[in-house]
Amino acid sequence: MSVYLEKLRHFRLAIKQHGGIIGAYLNFYRTDELKWGDLIGEDKFGNKYFQNRHYFIGRSRWVQYSDAVGMDYDGSQIPPEWHRWLHYIGDEPPTTAPPVKRSWMVDHKPNLTGTPEQYVPYSTVKPKITAWEPPKA
Amino acid sequence: MATLLKIWPLMGRRILGNPAACLACKSARTASGSSDQPEVELFVNDIPVSVPPGTTVLQACAEVGVQIPRFCYHDRLSIAGNCRMCLVEVEKSAKPVASCAMPVMKGMRVKTDSEIARKAREGVMEFLLMNHPLDCPICDQGGECDLQDQSMVFGSDRSRFVDMDHEGKRAVEDKDIGPLVKTIMTRCIQCTRCVRFANEIAGVEEIGTTGRGSDMQIGTYVEKLFGSELSGNIIDICPVGALTSKPYAFTARPWENRKTESIDVMDALGSNIIVATREGSVIRILPRLHEDINEEWLSDRSRFAYDGLKRQRLVSPMVKDASGTLVSCEWEDAFFTILDRLTGVTGSEIAAIAGGHADAESLIVLKDLLNRLGSEALCTEEIFPMDAAGTDLRSNYLLNTQISGIEEAEVVLLVGTNPRYEAPLLNARIRKSWLHNDLTVGVIGPQLDLTYEYDHLGDSTKVLQELAAGTHPFNKVLSSTKRAMIIVGSAVLQRADGGAIHAAMSTLAQNHRVKSGCDESWRVLNVLQRVASQVAALDLGYKAGVQVVRDNPPKVLYLLGADEQTVTKADLPSDCFVVYQGCHGDAGASMADVVLPGAAYTEKVGTYVNTEGRAQQTQVAVTPPGMAREDWKIIRALSEIVGQTLPYDNLNEVRRRLAQMSPNLTRYGDVEEANYFKQAEELAKSVKSSLASDALTPPQLSLKDFYMVDSISRASQTMAHCVAAVTKAEAK
Amino acid sequence: MAALRLYSVGKAAHTVLNHAARPVAIAASRTFWKQVSPPDPSYEWRDMTDKAANTIFILEICKGLGITLSMLFKEPATLNYPFEKGPLSPRFRGEHCLRRYPSGEERCIACKLCEAICPAQAITIEAEPRADGSRRTTRYDIDMTKCIFCGFCQEACPVDAIVEGPNFEYSTETHEELLYNKEKLLDNGDRWEPEIAANLQADYLYR
Repeated sequence: MSVYLEKLRHFRLAIKQHGGIIGAYLNFYRTDELKWGDLIGEDKFGNKYFQNRHYFIGRSRWVQYSDAVGMDYDGSQIPPEWHRWLHYIGDEPPTTAPPVKRSWMVDHKPNLTGTPEQYVPYSTVKPKITAWEPPKA
Repeated sequence: MATLLKIWPLMGRRILGNPAACLACKSARTASGSSDQPEVELFVNDIPVSVPPGTTVLQACAEVGVQIPRFCYHDRLSIAGNCRMCLVEVEKSAKPVASCAMPVMKGMRVKTDSEIARKAREGVMEFLLMNHPLDCPICDQGGECDLQDQSMVFGSDRSRFVDMDHEGKRAVEDKDIGPLVKTIMTRCIQCTRCVRFANEIAGVEEIGTTGRGSDMQIGTYVEKLFGSELSGNIIDICPVGALTSKPYAFTARPWENRKTESIDVMDALGSNIIVATREGSVIRILPRLHEDINEEWLSDRSRFAYDGLKRQRLVSPMVKDASGTLVSCEWEDAFFTILDRLTGVTGSEIAAIAGGHADAESLIVLKDLLNRLGSEALCTEEIFPMDAAGTDLRSNYLLNTQISGIEEAEVVLLVGTNPRYEAPLLNARIRKSWLHNDLTVGVIGPQLDLTYEYDHLGDSTKVLQELAAGTHPFNKVLSSTKRAMIIVGSAVLQRADGGAIHAAMSTLAQNHRVKSGCDESWRVLNVLQRVASQVAALDLGYKAGVQVVRDNPPKVLYLLGADEQTVTKADLPSDCFVVYQGCHGDAGASMADVVLPGAAYTEKVGTYVNTEGRAQQTQVAVTPPGMAREDWKIIRALSEIVGQTLPYDNLNEVRRRLAQMSPNLTRYGDVEEANYFKQAEELAKSVKSSLASDALTPPQLSLKDFYMVDSISRASQTMAHCVAAVTKAEAK
Repeated sequence: MAALRLYSVGKAAHTVLNHAARPVAIAASRTFWKQVSPPDPSYEWRDMTDKAANTIFILEICKGLGITLSMLFKEPATLNYPFEKGPLSPRFRGEHCLRRYPSGEERCIACKLCEAICPAQAITIEAEPRADGSRRTTRYDIDMTKCIFCGFCQEACPVDAIVEGPNFEYSTETHEELLYNKEKLLDNGDRWEPEIAANLQADYLYR
């Protein structure tokens, strides 16, 4: 019986964490899931990262995408420093082990395919043959 | 050391006593007569081998197919014996022996793969690598580096040089020796191949060594330009990446190059080359071994002018628009514009001029087309005296003795030519023969540095008269030998009195042949051509010189790569219609009304006949850029448009036509010998013109004049840098 | 001919012997039987009503649905991508990046070893001296659609310039977007460097 009570408690925790019934419903609508866990940090894009070791590895860390993106969330919106933690490559989140910042590093960009800003390949070399320009008459 | 440096030039002369050099030079071997001495038998890894005495152990090993690793030893250079990589074990010898410097002895038992030999090599390699930087990833020699290869095979897998205290490896400052050769002197292993090349082959005593031990450095003593027309060859002989090519720097790796065996057309020697291409552009040109022409060397213009192939190119046909500016168009438009102009023009009002890079195929196709249109006015840019026998006898315009004949010659008389810049490899042959065979050289013309000593006979035409009459002191020198050569530069034959000069030399040569009683097969008279297409054009019956065009100004003028401005707009009537076909936008294209883009020599299969009369063919290394096409195909297409379709559709059929006209043009690799010297001399007596009093001066006098002579080298930035560097060096 | 006759005689004799021995041959006696097909249904009254009840009240389907329902309360076995992501190795070979030195200088020296080793020939490099005389690429193209992600390029690289980064979320809608050039690769490097550096650090003992 205690097992079922535990389940109920977890359910209540999850609802509470998402800010009541409505919040929980909205989150459920977005993620098809209701989980509860500790907030580990938030990146500059507004994505929140959670961890709960109660779940098995693979499910124990998750991201709650920024509300700004709405339903257009995408796996590539996670910046590299959090990417490493979220993929269990390392256990130290950037909040405790901040990466070295260099001036030449640039901000993370999500996968922009299908948008006007998508990458279009171009040649980085000069043309091999230069043609003769006839003199102007 | 300093004294040693001073005697470098002297050592050059002493090479005759040097066994390796003797072997390298065939004629020297026969001259010294070592072949009739009994051979010495020795054992290499228990395999018996018999070699002539004086052979080195290294060469004896090569006879049985055992390759000894080496850095300083080079077939065509004197022996230095300073790299110690060629150590082998010789039984009953206390120490390992440097096989490149050790002459063979009877009954010697050489072991090339014994424990001692292997250990010795490993030790030498360890010492070399101790001071060699490990910068293979950025080194241009990487992939074709002797040190890299040999350390893989013979080196140890570890080094005892650990540099715990970070004292660093030996480092040497780089030298600036010109725009062609890049030096990274830290990589140098002091094999002194470049020093020996400069002193022996190039004859420029500007490179040498300073310091000793690990402070030894290769350099030009003071910072200066390595001013040689053969400087590119030190890149090839450098076994490491100390000397690399500046224009080729960092562009490619040897394993990704596509190599095409071809022929050079920058001078009339027809040097054999390998054209390396990558991603559809030529990235470097290397010499290919041909003992009878270029050995394994190549002149700087042939080697480095390739960047001209990528600049100033004609990539699409052009016609003049209403405002008189050339604008790009389709092939059809260009052809129909020509057709419009050709209608109503009689055959005699059409003329053609062929330039120095035209291949025999396009020459024959153009000739056939113009003949069908009723014109006989086909000429070459290069002038050649047409009086007397003129170009009717091949012996009149060929280098009859052949380039390798210089090694058998005993006296060479250079008339009005500067072979150093007109044909650098011919000059290298003369120097080689002068060093090893005691060749006597006489020069008529300005007093120039030809890298060897010569008797200067003055530069006036009077000398020619005296020689022909047999009254000049040099006649004595000539009559003392059975092997004399007279090399007449094609430049002086372009003067108004060219016929007379040719006649005088023809007389001198024939007199010498008769008097000295030399072999019937030994030819004396030689003409040194300067452009690659000339011999083939004359063989095909082109008229030498543009006098025809000047005399009867045509209505339509077809320029086949003629860029030397022998005929300018001023020489032509104002309504003359000029068609230019060629690969580069140069003087010819600027005066044209229609431009047809052709292929350069690396982009077509073409037959070229060198100054000896040796037919050779170029191969396609890259495709012509843009809409450019092979030259003969363009003319063939034009023939169809103008309604005179020529009866050949592919290269084989054109070649068959070539063979009909002159069979020697398709016997590739062979020299078709010319004769009738006697008849030529008889005919020469009928020459009317008399010798002028001007001095006999070839056009290329200094290194500056060497670099830019044709449309390709004029478009080349590398060549422009060379001219700038030489000008700067001269100003100092 | 003689040999043939001898052979046929031998054959005949063999057949005769075989037939003669048959009456005295020994065979195993079969005393034990086992039924392998399902038993016939029982025709007892009680069994027949049980079966009818099973069918009428769809008990088996309810049992199955019960199991399905119970799974609703169990922790799921799948990952809810893109909110949860699976574990990766620091050596994971994903999207390529060209790295820089901490100073901002690009690492690649155009040695072309990656181009040489690439088994799919996906890499194309062109190089020339830069204005300061250093050896640099002018073109570094990777055709990501040719790449087989073997990781040989990063193994071959003497300066750790080309690496296969941890990113695998770069799928595109068109082919051409996967033809990466040097700018794109350097940009990848500039973006992913924090993670690449940390991953290389994590793996340094084994490199």
